[in-house]
Amino acid sequence: MEEKANILDIRDLSVSFRTDEGLVQAADRVSFSIRRGETLGLVGESGCGKSVTAMSILRLIPSPPGRIDSGEILFRGQDLLKLPIEELRRVRGKSISMIFQEPMTALSPLQRIGRQMVEALQLHSRISRREAWQIGTEWLRRVGMPNPEEQMWAWPHNLSGGMRQRVLIAMALMLEPALIIADEPTTALDVTIQAQIFDLMRRMKKENESLLLITHDMAVIWEMCDRVAVMYASEIVETGTVEQVFRNPLHPYTRALMAAIPSASSKGRELYHIKGQVPPGINYPAGCRFRERCPIAIERCGMEHPMLDPYGDQCARCFRAGEKGVAL
Amino acid sequence: MNPLLQIRDLQTWFPIHRGVISRTVGNVRAVDGVSLDIYPNETLGLVGESGCGKSTLARTVALLEKPRAGTMHFSGQVLSQAQPGIRRKIQMIFQDPYSSLNPRMTVLEILTEGLVQHRRIKSSGRVTAAREILADVGMDPDVLYRYPHEFSGGQRQRISIGRALSLKPELLICDEAVSALDVSVQAQVINLLLSIRRKHGLSYLFISHDLGVVRHMADRVAVMYLGQIVEEGPADKIMDAPAHPYTQALISAIPRIGAEKGKRIVLQGDVPSPAAPPPGCRFHPRCPYAQDICRREQPELKGYEGGDSDRKAACFFAGRVG
Ligand SMILES: Nc1ncnc2c1ncn2[C@@H]1O[C@H](COP(=O)(O)OP(=O)(O)OP(=O)(O)O)[C@@H](O)[C@H]1O
Ligand SMILES: Nc1ncnc2c1ncn2[C@@H]1O[C@H](COP(=O)(O)OP(=O)(O)OP(=O)(O)O)[C@@H](O)[C@H]1O
Ligand code: SF4
Ligand SMILES: [Mg+2]
Ligand SMILES: [Mg+2]
Repeated sequence: MEEKANILDIRDLSVSFRTDEGLVQAADRVSFSIRRGETLGLVGESGCGKSVTAMSILRLIPSPPGRIDSGEILFRGQDLLKLPIEELRRVRGKSISMIFQEPMTALSPLQRIGRQMVEALQLHSRISRREAWQIGTEWLRRVGMPNPEEQMWAWPHNLSGGMRQRVLIAMALMLEPALIIADEPTTALDVTIQAQIFDLMRRMKKENESLLLITHDMAVIWEMCDRVAVMYASEIVETGTVEQVFRNPLHPYTRALMAAIPSASSKGRELYHIKGQVPPGINYPAGCRFRERCPIAIERCGMEHPMLDPYGDQCARCFRAGEKGVAL
Repeated sequence: MNPLLQIRDLQTWFPIHRGVISRTVGNVRAVDGVSLDIYPNETLGLVGESGCGKSTLARTVALLEKPRAGTMHFSGQVLSQAQPGIRRKIQMIFQDPYSSLNPRMTVLEILTEGLVQHRRIKSSGRVTAAREILADVGMDPDVLYRYPHEFSGGQRQRISIGRALSLKPELLICDEAVSALDVSVQAQVINLLLSIRRKHGLSYLFISHDLGVVRHMADRVAVMYLGQIVEEGPADKIMDAPAHPYTQALISAIPRIGAEKGKRIVLQGDVPSPAAPPPGCRFHPRCPYAQDICRREQPELKGYEGGDSDRKAACFFAGRVG
């Protein structure tokens, strides 16, 4: 039974940003959960709200202009949105760690890599400086950093973007937190290094760590995740196990995403592409937000807003999700 | 058929400076002895780890970097800074369409700047020329007086492609040109590049870290490691049955939908520095099959036993391992 317990439950999370053009709805009643030892993938077009959702978990939304308008984020049953800030600080890093999409901002430019690693380690466990230094070096090695002993002495600005990213991955993993939130962790890295890091993450998962993995790469979802949540225009539009969603995607956006990926058999052929653009988050249309781009839209789609309804163990936000034999 | 672009033994190094008087203490051997051919109407895919020298090779071909040694010929003519006539025939598009477009120029100015500079049109013909280019890259011709920031990433990449096409190049170098785009937008730009190739009969040097995209686009593929080409051949053959241990590791590392999970070659060992490449085969410190000969001698890029005649690999055991 313990295995099945949810480590994270996000319920009806809504986040908005005040901008010159108006109020941007960045996450709109987002709900999903992650079980212990499970990896959940979050995919979707740029700007659909993936990072905003992830940053909300540790309450890292810049405010102003951002604001968490409503919702609950239950971590081991405790609502992080209601936690006093000192207690939240203890959760950050030790219980939940985050790998950010923009690595530049996450390292202090004024301290050497080694010092930053040692301080993070000593903040959360009672070990000596020397021990911490050794652990840090070892983690740099594990994430594929060349010359880890030497790099401990490096300044962040001496490292390439890919190397800085590896430092951040090492720092997120070395505290062995219960939940890791990784926002496009390997997008800036080579596939060979990515493989090494995924290998590492997979091994940590065996120790029952949970992972929220944000990526735009469907193949990474296939490779790494147990379940997947697809986001479109600030909402979750489909969830299910990876096997289910890849075999039988229910939402036309998910189907279009799959069809747009080049594969061995697509060579030289025209790739499917979704016409039109994501509607701006300032003023979402009243009906289905995918309607303008949807090849199978019906009249109802323009009038009513579809709910995220269950179909077996899968969920989809589409009026036609339950129909059989609908082409794209 | 004669190659459109012929590169022989090309080297492009960057000096490493240290200290207050900026002494040169060594060189980053970004491109270190590359020979390649690109044929008319052919797409050559170039893949390899970050920092292996792909962009430097591309920039050297586009005459944006000066090689220290080697030769380059374009349609049989020597390719060098001193030949501005040929220069126009090689155009390049980059990963980040935003930083490569001047934010203070309108679409009209961006698309016709090169044409006017190369005196290929009079300024009175600018609007007509720009409208034609926009139609060519699938954009509304009425956006002429708008600025780059008013467009999405995919649209900006279309504008950069249009700018490159305006000079009627014969070789278009795409350096990670679709990498920053969302899957659905990426599909549109890939379709555009393929249709342009059909229509104008261009050749592409297509650089990408996404091997799925490379396979979709390229006829042939060259795999680069630490400044050198380690394998070369038809895209499908290389992707289906890589001969060089590095290519094998690279291809097994790519996540693929439907593939068995977690089954891959994970390379051990540090990524060596291009300032001090290892002796012998440059891949030997990370190669699972390295023998004594690999540490002593440098393997040549050539045909190998049992390999098809259109394939080459730089490994003593090519085609016999993996
Ligand atoms: N600081 C901010 N100020 C104003 N708007 C913001 C801010 N941060 C995010 N947004 C808006 O919130 C929406 C969701 O952004 P988010 O960063 O979550 O997208 P994403 O799905 O992570 O995209 P990407 O794949 O490009 O990283 C976007 O419309 C974005 O413009
Ligand atoms: N202008 C420069 N001055 C000094 N070193 C340089 C310069 N440009 C590139 N290098 C170095 O040359 C090597 C090759 O770089 P290059 O940009 O060609 O790699 P790449 O294969 O394009 O990598 P990526 O996949 O990350 O784009 C790297 O070690 C890089 O640091
Ligand atoms: S030559 Fe030797 S070291 Fe180099 S790749 Fe082949 S087997 Fe490995
Ligand atoms: Mg993001
Ligand atoms: Mg590059």
